[in-house]
Amino acid sequence: MAQLLTEEIKAYIGRETPEIPLGDPVEKGAVRRFAQAIMDHDPIYNDGAYAAATRYREPVAPPLYPLTMMRTAFDAPDLIAQQAHDPDFHGLIDTSAMGLPPLPVGNSPQLNAGSEIELYRYAKHGESVTVQSRYLDIFERKTSRGPMLCVIIESDFKGEAGDLICRFRKTLLRQ
Amino acid sequence: MSHAPVTKYFDDVAVGDDIPQLVKGPLTLIHLVRWSAATENWHRIHYDRAYARDHDGLPDVLVNGSLKQQFVAQMLKDWAGLEGWVWKVAIQFRAMDVVGTTLRVWGRVAGKRACPGYGLVRVRLGIAGADETESTRGQALVALPYLGGPPVPYPFVPPAPELWQGEW
Repeated sequence: MAQLLTEEIKAYIGRETPEIPLGDPVEKGAVRRFAQAIMDHDPIYNDGAYAAATRYREPVAPPLYPLTMMRTAFDAPDLIAQQAHDPDFHGLIDTSAMGLPPLPVGNSPQLNAGSEIELYRYAKHGESVTVQSRYLDIFERKTSRGPMLCVIIESDFKGEAGDLICRFRKTLLRQ
Repeated sequence: MSHAPVTKYFDDVAVGDDIPQLVKGPLTLIHLVRWSAATENWHRIHYDRAYARDHDGLPDVLVNGSLKQQFVAQMLKDWAGLEGWVWKVAIQFRAMDVVGTTLRVWGRVAGKRACPGYGLVRVRLGIAGADETESTRGQALVALPYLGGPPVPYPFVPPAPELWQGEW
């Protein structure tokens, strides 16, 4: 069995992005689609009068909304179109690495093994958010599917004033 | 779930209390495609059955872990109410949930820690899927106001580490 955790991959541990502005501010329509997709019809996401009577004062996004705010930039290469006819293409685009350089593991299977989240406030409609991510650790682990790379990425999401909205630590398994 | 404003107080919560469960599903391919579209996540294992099975060797299309963690957050948020705050959530995905599964998200109060200004409640939680198989386990720390006390600060200000680390 070839070693998964090569020196080349180990060198990614500790790599960190700058604070990256996330493509679009928190949009009312995107919040609606998100809330409908998670089937959470809490009026705090959409109803200004309801929100005004709460300590949030204005509509907010669902708690974990910032975690999925990383999107392909408008003028970025279209990785979907470039690879759509490749039967091996897994469909993952660069956003899954939270702005970090993707590991050199090609289209190897990727699974979500879990996460740890700290929440400080909700993102507000119209707000711009930044993310700063780092490869916290990468190690090899035996699983029921055989040995896999365990990749831990930590991301800090901040608001326009530089205050921490939430911290997200996710564990990905790569084969 | 009613969203009428109600306040849950630290004083009213006891270790062993069950949190109202959240049931989602059966989760069809349409639910998963809607989530993929909302988050622009085009990972094929969540909508392309042939790819999931033949390329990645999976039993079927998988329910996204990112979607399951939303359900956990929703259950905790609704339980904490508008005056409480879900501070920390840790989730481990231990097994796969495939398309067609109904998920039952549960939580139980496992510990309480009084802190200055508010109380912290530790919740054990999980997600049961097909055949009640527990695919997900985790825990959370939720801040609740004291009866007659000040509101939990928003944005949230965590307590000193020595006040909560024993609960985590």
